[in-house]
Amino acid sequence: MAYKRQFYPGNSVPAKNRRRYMDPKVKLKKLRDVPMDDVVRIMGHRNPGEDYKSIHPPIEEGKEPECPIRKLVVPIEGAKHGDRVRYIQFTDSVYFAPISPYQRAWMYLSRYRGVDTGTLSGRQIIEVRERNLEIMAKEMIDNETFDPALTGIRGATVHGHACRLDENGLMFDGWQRYQWDAKKKEVVYVKDQVAIPLDRKISVGKPAAAADLKKRTTIFRADGVDMRDDKEVTMYGLRIHKLRTLGGYQPWAFKE
Amino acid sequence: MATKQKLFMDACKKKFKEEPTDISTKYYCFGGWKQSKSKVEFQKTAEAIAKKRGIPMLNEDIGVPLGQRSWMPYQLSHTDIYAEADDLHCVNNTAIQQAWDDIRRTVLVGLDSPHQTIERRLGKEVTPETINAYLETVNHTMPGGAVVQEHMAEINPALAYDSYVKVYSGDDELIDEIDPRFVIDINKLFPKDQAEQLKKAIGKTLMQAVRVPTICGRIMDGATTSRHAAMQISMAFISSYKLAAGEAAIADFAYSAKHLSINMGTMMPARRARGPNEPGGIPFGFMADMAQSDRVHPDDPGRAALEAVALGAAVFDQVYLGGYMSGGVGFTQYATAAYTDNILEDYVYYAIDQIKSKYGGFCKLDPKDLDKLMKLGDDINAYALEMYERYPAIMEAHFGGSQRATVSAAATGVAGAMATGVADCGLNCWYLSMLQHKERTGRLGFYGFDLQDQCGSANSFAYRSDEGLPMEVRGPNYPNYAMNVGHLSGYTGIPKAAHAARGDAWTANPFVRVAFADPALVFDFANVTKEIGRGALREFQPAGERSAVIKG
Repeated sequence: MAYKRQFYPGNSVPAKNRRRYMDPKVKLKKLRDVPMDDVVRIMGHRNPGEDYKSIHPPIEEGKEPECPIRKLVVPIEGAKHGDRVRYIQFTDSVYFAPISPYQRAWMYLSRYRGVDTGTLSGRQIIEVRERNLEIMAKEMIDNETFDPALTGIRGATVHGHACRLDENGLMFDGWQRYQWDAKKKEVVYVKDQVAIPLDRKISVGKPAAAADLKKRTTIFRADGVDMRDDKEVTMYGLRIHKLRTLGGYQPWAFKE
Repeated sequence: MATKQKLFMDACKKKFKEEPTDISTKYYCFGGWKQSKSKVEFQKTAEAIAKKRGIPMLNEDIGVPLGQRSWMPYQLSHTDIYAEADDLHCVNNTAIQQAWDDIRRTVLVGLDSPHQTIERRLGKEVTPETINAYLETVNHTMPGGAVVQEHMAEINPALAYDSYVKVYSGDDELIDEIDPRFVIDINKLFPKDQAEQLKKAIGKTLMQAVRVPTICGRIMDGATTSRHAAMQISMAFISSYKLAAGEAAIADFAYSAKHLSINMGTMMPARRARGPNEPGGIPFGFMADMAQSDRVHPDDPGRAALEAVALGAAVFDQVYLGGYMSGGVGFTQYATAAYTDNILEDYVYYAIDQIKSKYGGFCKLDPKDLDKLMKLGDDINAYALEMYERYPAIMEAHFGGSQRATVSAAATGVAGAMATGVADCGLNCWYLSMLQHKERTGRLGFYGFDLQDQCGSANSFAYRSDEGLPMEVRGPNYPNYAMNVGHLSGYTGIPKAAHAARGDAWTANPFVRVAFADPALVFDFANVTKEIGRGALREFQPAGERSAVIKG
């Protein structure tokens, strides 16, 4: 029988969202449409319309060594063209951001090829060939895993995920890369990922309502869904710890 | 969930004007770095220096604008002292430096072997009178006095006032005969039951606690301590027992001083570039023994564990990993989370309440009952994480996930250790906390940190030398711990918690335990957070200063 991926245990809202975000067969909801040129501007790696910088000639022009792995793995577009590896990094607030760093890593690795992720407590960086990155970045900014108030796009000075929210409900950012547009009730970026001022403000849309965020989040919290209320998730966590403990000590003692 | 007053409330109210449960606040309106007294002082000082030397220096307006949030002070846990983060940086805090200095400049050198050499090999008598004469002599040589060569350069005593040698033993009759100025008196310094345990373990051995001058350790390194001690001890034997300086037996004194001694830290591999008596080689159990809270507060194992955590944070995380692994700035906020604002305090005392009310009290949980141990770990870890979720003020106080991971795991580990009396059970709970934390919140610490914490369950009970050790004798150089910034505080607290809960007089080594009970030390190891607080308030007087040899 072929193995069927299960992605994640549990029946709670955060557990279901974890499964949905990880499952590449699930098409994530598109909530906004930030123009690609604006995504490129916010990332700040190149100017819209500018050629991609390359770090090696197109693969087809080069002389690749004889290698069975190279024959097996089809290069992604950016690799084919010799693009630089660039990044986008998201900071996710603890206050019911739609997704959090570990789920980002799991989601990226489940949905995309040719990516390198790095996971920390507040932020998650994904590095990939530039033209692929731009497509991914737009998807991530447009879809349901992004909230304008609780998700930050930050290259450096990334802390803020655990800070309280400002009077408009926005996550703290030491560089104030984004601001609240009180007139439109939208969040606008005024600086790029590394806090270089943008030529013009870029709207990323309206923040979601608290009730909506609680339906979309992957985060277990005492004031939302406590992880211990999801028996299956809790059980699996304890089981993993127990198996690892006994596996490193007296594997014969484990009878289940 | 416990409903009593949370121990972190006072700190929260001092840090933020909003209620600790409020999620909302204001930012970007506080005047930047000018909110901070120390930043203002730093800026003014740096401007004057830059003008004088003609090279730019610190400029608070470079880089990210500091002070976009309300500037928060830090309460030194279980004290009334509040400090700025800058004053807790180990380069700015003389008390933290002295805690490390006092450890590095200590070597324990037994007198039994030299006495046997004197009596059996040289046929001379060793009596309490000769021991007293030797101790008077060695207290002349150790700070830098000469006794054998007539034309000799010596160390200015004003630079080495902190250097001395004292002795201790489990033999009360012998100690009664020793000049009390040279004695670390176990009977006076320890509660009776602890004193009896220590004396039984130490037996008739007469041990010297040697303190070389702080300034020697600062100029050289920890590896100089046993060498300085060996030379000055040998000279003192030659002088006090009227021996020939060149006779072969003298080598035995130097040999025993160098090789039959107890260094506070073992030598590290060459790639770490540190000799003996450097922090990376100090076992967690030794550091736990240095922390002396349970000597003066024997009925408060919680405080004992927390003070050990604080000492581990300062010496292992701030001084050692903050320098060896990283360098520069950045580790202060990370490490101090474990000993500021009474947050870990709250979690640990909650754990103690739970152990007493649901698990039969200290050391009553069967260490072989892994399911019950996991239940306890789950309870304490859930409490710790829930507090961060219910009180945004402490979530923001620990604004890095690594801080929260360490503090939650430390509380869970301390709980497991206290409930069973076994440090390895505490360590196992530490790793349970890490796995659950990641699963619950979808985040934990930083890359390298996470890797080690996610594979640790498997080595928590392993005793095979390439995979594991009893927690008491693991240390910062244990394979998975060499990059675990912030963790080494908790790793120190866990074995301490186990042994304090058992009512043990020591954690790993009775000789180390007694040596750091010595009231003549510059740093008070029974009040670690208070001392660090005094350092932050700039009231602490360190040793090793050079002003005695600087004109004006």
